[in-house]
Amino acid sequence: MLPLFIRRAAYTLGTLCLIWSCNLSSLDDLELEPRDAEFVFPLFRTTITLESLMKGILNDSLSGDTILVNPDGTMTLIYSGDLVSKPALDLFTFFPDTLIPLPDTLSELDFDAPNSIRVDRVDFTGGSIGLVAYNGTSGKIDLTMTLPGMTKNGVVFEQSKQLVAGEFYQGPLIPIDGYTLISNNNKLQVRYVAINQAGQRIKMPAVFGIPGVAIDLDKPKFSYMQGYWGYEVYPLTEDTIEIDINQTELDGNVRVVDPKVTFTIKNSWGFPTRMLVEKLVFVAPNGQEIPLQSTVLDNGTLDLGYPSWAAGEIGQTKFTNVFFDRNNSNIDDIFNAQPVRLIYDIDGIANVRQDPDVTGFITDSSVITLQVGVELLLEGSAVNFGAEQQVNLNFGDFQDLDTAKISDVEFKLVTENQTPISARLQIVFLDDQAQPIDSLFADGPASLLNAAPVDADGIAMGTQRTEVFVPMSVARFNRIRSATKGELLTYFTTANDGLVPVKLLATQQSTVKMGLRVRTRF
Amino acid sequence: MKIPRLILPAILLAACWTPARAQQEMMLYNMPEYWHANGLNPAFFPKDHKLYVGLPGIALDAYNSGNLTFNDIINRSKDRLSLDFSRAIDKLGEQNDFAFDQRIETLSLGFRLKGGITISAAHAQRFHGFFVYPKGLPGLLWEGNAGPAFVGQSVALAPSARTFGWHEVRLGLAKSLGPLTVGGRVNLIAGITGVESDPNRNRITLFTDPDYYQLTVSSDYAFQSANLIQRIDTSGNGFSVGFVDDFNKGNLFAVNGRSFDIGFQLQATPRLSLSASVLDLGGQINWDRNTYAFHTEGNYTYEGGIIDGGDLLQGADIDFDVNLDTLNDIFAFKRSDQAFSSNLPTRYFGSLRYQLTDRFGVFGTFFHQQRDLRTQTAMGVGISWNPAQWFNVGAQYGYNNRSGSNLGLYLGCRPGPFQVYVATDYGLAVFRPYNASRANIRAGLSLVFGRRNQEVPE
Repeated sequence: MLPLFIRRAAYTLGTLCLIWSCNLSSLDDLELEPRDAEFVFPLFRTTITLESLMKGILNDSLSGDTILVNPDGTMTLIYSGDLVSKPALDLFTFFPDTLIPLPDTLSELDFDAPNSIRVDRVDFTGGSIGLVAYNGTSGKIDLTMTLPGMTKNGVVFEQSKQLVAGEFYQGPLIPIDGYTLISNNNKLQVRYVAINQAGQRIKMPAVFGIPGVAIDLDKPKFSYMQGYWGYEVYPLTEDTIEIDINQTELDGNVRVVDPKVTFTIKNSWGFPTRMLVEKLVFVAPNGQEIPLQSTVLDNGTLDLGYPSWAAGEIGQTKFTNVFFDRNNSNIDDIFNAQPVRLIYDIDGIANVRQDPDVTGFITDSSVITLQVGVELLLEGSAVNFGAEQQVNLNFGDFQDLDTAKISDVEFKLVTENQTPISARLQIVFLDDQAQPIDSLFADGPASLLNAAPVDADGIAMGTQRTEVFVPMSVARFNRIRSATKGELLTYFTTANDGLVPVKLLATQQSTVKMGLRVRTRF
Repeated sequence: MKIPRLILPAILLAACWTPARAQQEMMLYNMPEYWHANGLNPAFFPKDHKLYVGLPGIALDAYNSGNLTFNDIINRSKDRLSLDFSRAIDKLGEQNDFAFDQRIETLSLGFRLKGGITISAAHAQRFHGFFVYPKGLPGLLWEGNAGPAFVGQSVALAPSARTFGWHEVRLGLAKSLGPLTVGGRVNLIAGITGVESDPNRNRITLFTDPDYYQLTVSSDYAFQSANLIQRIDTSGNGFSVGFVDDFNKGNLFAVNGRSFDIGFQLQATPRLSLSASVLDLGGQINWDRNTYAFHTEGNYTYEGGIIDGGDLLQGADIDFDVNLDTLNDIFAFKRSDQAFSSNLPTRYFGSLRYQLTDRFGVFGTFFHQQRDLRTQTAMGVGISWNPAQWFNVGAQYGYNNRSGSNLGLYLGCRPGPFQVYVATDYGLAVFRPYNASRANIRAGLSLVFGRRNQEVPE
């Protein structure tokens, strides 16, 4: 029986072994095989129009700079100097605000004006005149002061007072608003009549050498003055315009097709004025001053338009626009040197021809305004035109990312460019101390942006797509993701290797997109 | 890297792949002399003893569509086993089925009464799982989305699932009426866990744009869960699943469904017998505890940070921060309380056996299973050999709607009071398990008592 039992038991155990042959329990020790997996996802996208790009550049420079989008979509970059206003009343007051003694019964006072000016007529809008007198006699005196040339509605300005002996009198200030002064001899004529008790006309005695009668001019204001302006030089403006078409110290070879310097002058002074350009120079990056030479200027001068008294243009404003361009100046050569600023110093000359028959005028609103600008139609060419910009970087969650399971990464940079500009870029990553820790491209700037093709007019047609892959080891990735700032060095070259001028249109844009491929090792 | 414990069941499933698309147990069905065959036909009751005590037995039946083998996913070396799906992914179809049925019979009793009546009672813990998953899902998890299968493609990721586990207490009765034995059984069901996806809301796609890898996710996906998933948290960049406490235990006495088994066995002649059975008839689990419906719907394209060019020129930061919150929110499942029911797949068995000699017999078997997502049918013809009265072996050529060349085997021993057996409808997997693309196994142990003197020819 025993052998039979053993045999049966053996068969039974064998059957059990067949069951265990499935041996699924060994899977308890199963491990996951290390594997490479690759994940891709987007990082960011940004679109920059040329208009916003240019405006962004402008915002970094002077506040007066503007960009003008022309009807055809082209853009004109305008660097403007300060708007200078020179009101006529800043130069010409004519009437002092003071007490003027009258040494005799008829006095002719000089106007407070340069000798070159002759005043024929003044229309007052404000101020007042008063009589001041001292009776140094022993009896009473009837005193009357008149300004014969100064009338209102046909009535001569007059002020009277009876003074007792030894009386000091300071009469009330009489408003002169509405009075018109007519002068035939460039003098303000003042007359007084003093009658003593005997009925005799006398000259008011002086006291300690001081005439006994005076006229008190209190803030006289006029709205119109007519007369003759002789030759007179007076300063208009002196200013500097920063021209930062190349904001960097990097190399660049920018050629602007049609740069202009504009003088925009508004003149409501009613007499001939000649602009005298004392200084008009561009400053090259190396500090060298390059004078702007132009046939527009005659020995540095230019006559300005003015409202003519003879033509009845009182109150009008005349415009004078001066353009210094490639056709009348050496500005092309100047801009090939990539100037960084424009310095100018301008004076005005009245009646430079000294014509004695010129009758002129000013009003209380007469002004000369002058603005100097540099206009750059964004059409031109550039070869490796450099720009640099420092930006803040925020790697967000990537800064805390555990890269132990990352084998390597690869950035994918995609650009879609509608502009006629290509660009090479390098990003230098900086740490908190602004010290460089790595660069995006180990072999120097890479071509990220290819110019869209241009037509015969230099206008970009279509969109040019460029893809650049930037593989990176984990070690480099770890360095870069700790960066807090990036120094963007960009080198622009216009289409066809910068050999043909291109136009930049406001609506043209470039889109930059970045994705990331991460190879993991689990 | 050690595999988390929860993954082991999935590994186990993958190790048992088989083309049989259902719990196909045709070999055991032709072993009526073994007590556990009663589980396939309530009319089966071995004739040589009065009392049968079924000890633990296991039935595993699993497959994955395609021709994956164990070696496609397992790397073996002298001292370690490791999972490697890199080879397996290439073999997957665009849509793949994965099915797993398991029945663990803990204890069963059968007692023969007078008058040809037999009664039986049993407990089993069963699991039924059927999944349809797109190739993109394992591809994404294992290889990432950087490959050509993803970049520039809209890849489907949504799996379909119909899976549930339950306790089953069977109470059976059979009656012999001359050569005919008929049996019936009621199965009291206590559901453990269940998950069913909504076939009408079964879309999750991922599009990886080749431009600069923008991700577009589109979803309209819903599923129901009972006693398993309590919440899906996608806040922040997280994606965590909260499970119901003790979800895998279940309550044997919380009966929430029932099913019926019926069958017969006809001893037409001393050598010819016919049998047929229908199992899990009308089976349904009515889930009523911790039942939730989850739904996600949305479309979103993640393009990374959108930096305003003007702001950038004004000195704004270049922000590389990957803000995936919104992308993650696409999968913010909305939860609602919702009871539901799961239908058990009904199984049909039929067999014809003819005893050629005392030691040799032939048989033919039919199997059919009606699933919710797939219908499965199999047939087989085989031969049995009994070199000794207590020792049985058999082999079968099987055909099913997936493969026309399946070799089934069984081996059983009945030494003394023991019954032990192992059977498979796909025998090649037994000898070359690592090269098998399928697996099917049935094994068990029983005790028998009260030998009857009556010898009935089989």
